[in-house]
Amino acid sequence: MAALLQVSELSKSYKLPGHWFNQKESIALEPLSFEIKAHQTLAVIGEAGSGKSTLAKLLVGAEIPSTGKIKLNGQTLNSENFKQRCQHIRMIFQDSGTTLNPSLTIKKLLDEPLKLNTNLNEKNRNQLIRETLQKVGLLTDHMNFYPHMFSGGQKQRISLARAIILKPQVIILDEALASLDPSLRSQMINLLLDLQKQMGLAYILISHNLSIVRHFSDELMVLSNGQVVEYGKTIDILKKPKHKFTQKLIMSQHFQLLHK
Amino acid sequence: MNLLDIRNLSIELQTTNNSILAVDHVSLSMKEGEVRGLVGESGSGKSLLAQAIIGVLDERWHVHADRFHWRGKDLLRLSPEERKSIISQDVAMIFQEPMSCLDPTTTIGEQLAEAVDTEQLSGYFWQRNQQRKNAAIKLLHKVGIKHHDLCIKSYPHQLTEALCQRVMIAMALAKRPMLLIADEPTAAMETTNQGQIFRLLASLNQLKNMSILLISHDLENVTHWTNNITVMYSGQFVEAGTTKQIFTEPYHPYTRALLNSSPKANIELPVKSRLMTLPGSIPILQHLPIGCRLGPRCPRAQQACVKAPKVSNFHGHQVSCHFSLKDTY
Ligand SMILES: Nc1ncnc2c1ncn2[C@@H]1O[C@H](COP(=O)(O)OP(=O)(O)OP(=O)(O)O)[C@@H](O)[C@H]1O
Ligand code: SF4
Ligand SMILES: [Mg+2]
Repeated sequence: MAALLQVSELSKSYKLPGHWFNQKESIALEPLSFEIKAHQTLAVIGEAGSGKSTLAKLLVGAEIPSTGKIKLNGQTLNSENFKQRCQHIRMIFQDSGTTLNPSLTIKKLLDEPLKLNTNLNEKNRNQLIRETLQKVGLLTDHMNFYPHMFSGGQKQRISLARAIILKPQVIILDEALASLDPSLRSQMINLLLDLQKQMGLAYILISHNLSIVRHFSDELMVLSNGQVVEYGKTIDILKKPKHKFTQKLIMSQHFQLLHK
Repeated sequence: MNLLDIRNLSIELQTTNNSILAVDHVSLSMKEGEVRGLVGESGSGKSLLAQAIIGVLDERWHVHADRFHWRGKDLLRLSPEERKSIISQDVAMIFQEPMSCLDPTTTIGEQLAEAVDTEQLSGYFWQRNQQRKNAAIKLLHKVGIKHHDLCIKSYPHQLTEALCQRVMIAMALAKRPMLLIADEPTAAMETTNQGQIFRLLASLNQLKNMSILLISHDLENVTHWTNNITVMYSGQFVEAGTTKQIFTEPYHPYTRALLNSSPKANIELPVKSRLMTLPGSIPILQHLPIGCRLGPRCPRAQQACVKAPKVSNFHGHQVSCHFSLKDTY
């Protein structure tokens, strides 16, 4: 199967303030390359400031890369086809449940991306909103509710509904599971796994929780200081971590692959 | 002897037309030198219980208990003022959001110096300021901050979350408490930093024999650091026992479900398989189920569950359920 998303030599550096003849650069991300197929999950781990969020921002097009290419289905993405990118690569943040606009009903919240990115008429949009709500385990009656009427887990489902309503191919989960309560978290993991099966979604999971990384991902990339220090099958890396940072993280979570 | 012994503590929120039982008959005891985890999902009443213990809830909340002993003393017989002075001498608490508890307009050094107990200072009053300063520096060393010069001159917003949390712990230590209540001390931190804070607390427990009540919404997060665990659900007592009992043979369907749903506790599960979960979500305070509050979500629920279960005690392993899992092991 061909790769869904191909990233080659992608990098980002920021110019630091200074004179033009004396300008320094700070490198947020050294050139990196990877591929993801449909139905696959790539986990990205790394300490704060290691470049995880920069990578996410480059992929969704919120930042312009300094070098490198992103290809989706073999087609190069650039800043001109931003609309197309918005539709195919979506992102869910850690607190996206709490950042829903409180003055809009769920219907309006979900209608927004449809209006911006599609030419569907109102009837078709409503139909799609209903279907999407059902997919994430909510009721069609919830359309006329406001965000404050939902629990934390339901809000997280609404932001997931918002992310999948455009039928994306890639979803980036930026610590989206971190602050959830355990029982909500397992419900959310199940939901994401189901959707991956149904829709063939590829996920990029940015997370600290190694047990979730182990359970949820096929491949793993470890970032440190803007560099890829390990990349391969999740299970192989967790079995034999080579880099100091990976070893430290495994130690700090008392992570074990087998219970003894 | 128990350091703290609380039986059937309830906390009621008085609103204009009704009252809500936010914490419903919860018991909690702590021994000297014990590290106990208080675990429950968001809104289960952990913070309320902690605030009730140290007596900082405002008058909208009504607290009742059948027993409230501190080091053998019956605190219910004392006036609120006497109670407060005893508790504030021996118990310290670090709150859920460290940043919001520090005064943003004062330097860390001044805030720390102020927290130092006057009784610990000897010498003449003109020496006191210097003594306070030295005590503050010592406290920072105790929580593992070596570059105290910089830290003392900083304002809270100039420090990272993890450093602020260390400062909060230092302030809590200033009173040399016998019991430290730590409410989600690592909630906003990265795992590598979380480990540092837990290790710090563990060393304080070992070196100073300080008891610690460690509050967390995530059971698997604290199991490594605790001797015993008390579990709450939606304001009700669920189960209490040693960490091993809770982790390997939980008696309560809720604890069982928490463990079943955790990828960490179920390492043999095939990768990318569905996790076991409880259906539904935590009830909101305005619509609490009657009887056992887990009822609508519980796989073992039966008719009897509309009446709240009593706590049964099996050699120190306590469980509050009509149909406990005890006999299934
Ligand atoms: N000031 C308040 N006014 C009204 N209700 C409150 C107040 N503080 C807490 N509550 C309610 O009391 C219940 C218990 O709250 P508490 O803060 O003790 O939960 P918690 O277990 O600490 O949760 P978390 O893990 O989110 O910190 C919740 O349902 C909460 O909504
Ligand atoms: S008392 Fe009933 S509803 Fe409550 S946990 Fe036990 S079996 Fe379930
Ligand atoms: Mg709390």
